[in-house]
Amino acid sequence: MNVELLHRPGNTAAKITLQAGENCTTESGAMIAMSGHMNITTSTHKKGSGSIFKAAKRLLVGESFFLNHFDPAGKAGELWLGTDLAGDMILLDLDNENLVVQSGSFLACEDSIEMDMGWQGFKSILSGESMFWLNLKGKGKIVLSSFGAIYPIDVDGEYIVDTGHIVAFNETLDFSITKAGKSWWHSFLGGESLVCKFHGKGTVWCQSHNPKSFGRALTSSLRVRRA
Amino acid sequence: MKSEIKGSQAFSYVEIALEPGETIVTESDAMSSMDAALDLTATLNGGFIKGLLRKYLGGESLFISRFANNTDKTRGLTIVQGTPGEVRKVTLNKEVLYLQPGAFLACTPTVNLGLKWAGFISWIAREGLFRLKISGTGDVFYGAYGALLEREIDGEYIVDTSHLVAYDPTIKLKLQFAGGIFSSIFGGEGLVTRVQGKGKIIIQSRSISGLAGWLNPKFR
Repeated sequence: MNVELLHRPGNTAAKITLQAGENCTTESGAMIAMSGHMNITTSTHKKGSGSIFKAAKRLLVGESFFLNHFDPAGKAGELWLGTDLAGDMILLDLDNENLVVQSGSFLACEDSIEMDMGWQGFKSILSGESMFWLNLKGKGKIVLSSFGAIYPIDVDGEYIVDTGHIVAFNETLDFSITKAGKSWWHSFLGGESLVCKFHGKGTVWCQSHNPKSFGRALTSSLRVRRA
Repeated sequence: MKSEIKGSQAFSYVEIALEPGETIVTESDAMSSMDAALDLTATLNGGFIKGLLRKYLGGESLFISRFANNTDKTRGLTIVQGTPGEVRKVTLNKEVLYLQPGAFLACTPTVNLGLKWAGFISWIAREGLFRLKISGTGDVFYGAYGALLEREIDGEYIVDTSHLVAYDPTIKLKLQFAGGIFSSIFGGEGLVTRVQGKGKIIIQSRSISGLAGWLNPKFR
């Protein structure tokens, strides 16, 4: 599987080239174009693993219930992926490591990647992200998407990421929900009431923008339609 | 203080490296990530009454955040505006710059943030009743929804309402119809802002009200 990211970071599209015999799993609804001979199978779980229970969990996570599997059927083929919100994508190469992904950020992965729901505890409710997280592990390529640009931060010790800005992080990191300033009062007044504090050593990928902030800026100009 | 604007025009964000003892002032909720050793304090945006005025009339937050590096190492922080779009840095040297409501993102603590009456014309033009007066010496970051266009003007120039972002103090604003009554109402341009004077103006390529106007009829 070869991945090329084009038109970054404003209007990113992922061009995925599959060789004969290679497969790719994507979030449903992400395909914008593909070779005519590409076969799509839609299932509630990753091929050969999982169950309807896993799909139900994925629904809870805010991901779609279904996943699409693309198979070029014995020939090479290509596939283009895009997202609903404008923004960046990143390509990560997992080498038998574990990655925790904010569920809305998952776009595509190679077949060799194992996917499962993770529960990061009750702190997730306060993290501004969805309650569940995707745990990806194995060896292969992953494509993640975001609203805004994506930047990595190498954490060694402690680092703070505002709620709603997490895309993914190495499983070697852990986070807790805390205040940004010295006191709760200042944190609240500073508009940074709750933040995620990461501990450990690893990388956290952040999205520069937060869909909620943009929503807030827009909401005051939207009209309520009366029936 | 070192700073770098990244993420292109579409999604600008600012990476800032604070040296020991340095501070940066930002609008509230601008921080997206930071070194855990930085100290955040929230202060009133220049007095309670002024702060309130700035919030309700200037389109800025009541409180501003101060991020201070009280450690002995360089510490990083990333700041961003709420809407996707371009962010710019200007370095003021005892100069004045007017910013439209909501455009301010951050500045060094040596810069003064003041609120100035912009007049009813500005308000009708949906540019706010007040404008932010930035003065002093230091770095200022500001931005808007969309890309920022710069125009050097001498005389008169016309900008669509809610597209003006920043301008020099030598510039005056006037409101007028875009063309005749007919083209103003049906041509989609409506009211426009006529800017007069000699200096620089910054225009945003998109506007939130434009997006909302496009979205509103689509809701069911």
